[in-house]
Amino acid sequence: MHPKQWRGHRGLRFRAAAVCAAAALALGVAACSSSGSTGNSAASGGTKVAGGTATWALNPSAVPNYIFPFASSTYFSTVNFEEFQYLMFRPLYWFGNGASPTLNTSLSLADAPVYHGRTVTITMKGWKWSNGETIDAQDLMFWMNMMKAVAHQDWGDYVPGLFPDDVTDIKVVNSSELTMTMTKSYNTTWFTYNELSQLTPMPLAWDRTATGPSDCAANEADCAKVYGYLDSQSKSMSSWVSSPIWSIVDGPWKLASFNPDGNSSFVPNPKYSGPVKPTLAKFVEEPFTTESAEYNVLQAGAAGGQKLDVGYLPTTDAPDKPANAAVGANPVSGYTLAPLVQWAINYFPVNMQSSTGNGPVNRQLYFRQALQYLMNQKAIIDGPLHGYGSYTVGPVGTYPATNYLSPQGQQGDPFPFNLAKAKSLLTSHGWKVVPNGVSTCQAPSLCGPGIAQGHQLVFNLPYATGVNWISSEMTQLQSNASLIGIKLNLEPKPFDQVVAIGAPNCKVAGTSCDWDMANWGGGWSFVPDYYPSGETLFASGSGANSGGYTNAENDALINQSLTTNSLTPLYNWQNFLATQLPFVWQPNGPYAMTEVANNLHGVLPQSTTGNLNPETWFFVK
Amino acid sequence: MTGFFIRRIVQAAVVVLLVTMITFILLRAIPGNVAVAILGPGSFRNPALIAAFNREYGFDQPWFDQYLLWLRHLVEGNLGFSWTLDQPVASLLGSHLPKTIILVGMATILALVVAVPIGLWQAVRRNRLVDYTFTGFSLLFYAAPSFFVGTVLILVFSVKLHIFGPEGPQGGLVSDLTDWRDMTLPVLTLALITMALFSRYMRSAVLDNITEDYVRTARAKGASPRRVLFRHVLRNSLIPIATLLGLSIPYIMSGALITESVYNYPGMGYLFFKAAQQQDYPTLLGFVIVVAVAVVVGSLLADIAYAILDPRVRYTRS
Repeated sequence: MHPKQWRGHRGLRFRAAAVCAAAALALGVAACSSSGSTGNSAASGGTKVAGGTATWALNPSAVPNYIFPFASSTYFSTVNFEEFQYLMFRPLYWFGNGASPTLNTSLSLADAPVYHGRTVTITMKGWKWSNGETIDAQDLMFWMNMMKAVAHQDWGDYVPGLFPDDVTDIKVVNSSELTMTMTKSYNTTWFTYNELSQLTPMPLAWDRTATGPSDCAANEADCAKVYGYLDSQSKSMSSWVSSPIWSIVDGPWKLASFNPDGNSSFVPNPKYSGPVKPTLAKFVEEPFTTESAEYNVLQAGAAGGQKLDVGYLPTTDAPDKPANAAVGANPVSGYTLAPLVQWAINYFPVNMQSSTGNGPVNRQLYFRQALQYLMNQKAIIDGPLHGYGSYTVGPVGTYPATNYLSPQGQQGDPFPFNLAKAKSLLTSHGWKVVPNGVSTCQAPSLCGPGIAQGHQLVFNLPYATGVNWISSEMTQLQSNASLIGIKLNLEPKPFDQVVAIGAPNCKVAGTSCDWDMANWGGGWSFVPDYYPSGETLFASGSGANSGGYTNAENDALINQSLTTNSLTPLYNWQNFLATQLPFVWQPNGPYAMTEVANNLHGVLPQSTTGNLNPETWFFVK
Repeated sequence: MTGFFIRRIVQAAVVVLLVTMITFILLRAIPGNVAVAILGPGSFRNPALIAAFNREYGFDQPWFDQYLLWLRHLVEGNLGFSWTLDQPVASLLGSHLPKTIILVGMATILALVVAVPIGLWQAVRRNRLVDYTFTGFSLLFYAAPSFFVGTVLILVFSVKLHIFGPEGPQGGLVSDLTDWRDMTLPVLTLALITMALFSRYMRSAVLDNITEDYVRTARAKGASPRRVLFRHVLRNSLIPIATLLGLSIPYIMSGALITESVYNYPGMGYLFFKAAQQQDYPTLLGFVIVVAVAVVVGSLLADIAYAILDPRVRYTRS
């Protein structure tokens, strides 16, 4: 899944050992850290060979279905953006330096933005489209006008009040320079990482409708019709390869073949202006129904006649990770195992707006703390995750190591498994705890407002099937909870159903509030909102604030972190929220147990932002 | 005879109608918000967008009205539009159904070609080693789920021996017909489980026929054992197999669904798998229609075949 969207289970891939940009160092982020691999021949050795075809396995049942980079929420997914469109159409700013989720100025289409007060200046580098035209400020204005015209309806990352609502006075100064004014003085890192990260220049050849050329690049009023035309062209999948629109690219790759089942192939764009030109002659993406089907192909390839060059290991087949090693013994010979953990947090919401009768219970901090004490993150990481997960300790991710995580957050899990503390929290708040039974409220004045005498701790908890460690975690939590009389009725369901039930703030979205908790297994990835601030996920009334958590102090701290060029407000906010438990924190499992053929180099380290860079890949002999 | 056919066709239509209605109700009973599932998690920010979707696709109407609307479109030849694949369902079925037909067709032909002689041989050699051996294999494959058979075949013939590919052909129909290396295991998987069923029925049918009066008469008239077996017994024993063929369609289709998933073969099973995961109701309903029609037609054809092959049925009914 994509940014500002909830994360699916599986997914992304590689990014080559790109340059660790100065920007990363300036931010003090631990750039270029590997996502972990055995460090064998996928990283070094052999003689580079030009050409060849590299085949990469798509995630189960995830295939591209939209090519226009201006995507509505329906098409706003990792498989459409990072794994497909970005190969051909590059965003203005590229994020990812090795494993570090930071601005990569070398691969970006413009120089780093320059801030003067509330004015932002963007200077294009003058790279070329495949039709020979320069990627200029007018192309960026084309995108901005479309954002202003249709974003509220048709841009999947749109949040009311944020981009483009938080900018005014957008001007093309000259062919290479565009300026805009922020509506207030924002934290410049946040503005670059979460707002400007959404921009993608579009070629003027796209500025047309079915009847002929249009002028959206200069006139916002023309944009709705242009969007309608491009949207319809993007939905016509059978015409993508031959389309005169989608064949104009600025990325390193051009689409050579595609079928709606997801089989696609790319060839190098000879006009690509970026610093890293493709070495491969062809890059192929292959879809799979299940991860078992993919694993069969991987194993057969490893035994001879390699069919997949980059695939993945089902988590259940992952080897146990020894304490002092990056990975365990790889069960697939001829490949290098490299787990990819995303720049993300993992959690599941507790619905404080639940209409089942449990809303008042879920609103009690002591109850959420008791539940968090029952979540044994260490046991999950050591057990079903085979040692490959990372802890979620609050609203900021712990992997990769960044300076966004506060010193307090770096100290680890604030709620290590503790049955006695969980029980004590209930008994001290008026609950009669019945181990292996159902606990009931005996003193309503202590239980909390709205909780009646005799109210039972019984909750429904739908969770996403398909990921074994999540199923194990849910069973373990159910078992732990039963020891203090909390009955969790687990309901296994497909991922999309769980997201539809539990991801939106039901009061804001107008969806049913008839659920207590919901676990889609993937939490949230910080892409393309790379700065881990809380305005989207945790602010009162935010649509992605799944459980409906609301707290004035939290809102004030978020606001400070968005308007101050310092990390201190971000630390203050996350320290506060980590123990407020708007969600139940759970381990962040690997997004993919990636397997890279040993004769294919340049794949590692993988990008924690999910970007795919096959232009850095090459075969060796 | 005509009345019989008309009655059966009317019954078939009613069955298809009931199947679609039950499926429609079950799909609508799935918890969760369809609009959010289809429009994407980000759509929650825009209630107007969700409302527009519900209005456009009739989700703001009672389920029966939605069903009638869908039925009206169906009668007009419109199977609906896939929300996730942005294509008419008819077009999706048109592109995926032929692949499944090729897989099922090849597997069924292979199963018949092998199962009929085996069943015949077993009957002739009943209660001997060859009979016990084939019975053992038949029961094994009949009991084994297709995903298990598929996985074992991949491990043996693809991972260990490298004789066949571990997945079905990824290209178009031409590759399905020409890429024997990748097509063999999916066909074999489906054929093995079907073969087990057919050979058991064939054995029983031959054993039933071999004791009939007409066989004794043929022998008494001096017909050679070979002539009796192939000219008389085999022909009559094929009658229940023809019936079984029609009735086996749901069994074969469900096997194909799993087999396609195991072998990453982009047919109807692949389409169904994706649609089920993404709450793509129009595609799911389209799939159900195809399978329901196939089952009903198969059953109808079985009845017709039986009536044609066995004159006693015709005479009795007339």
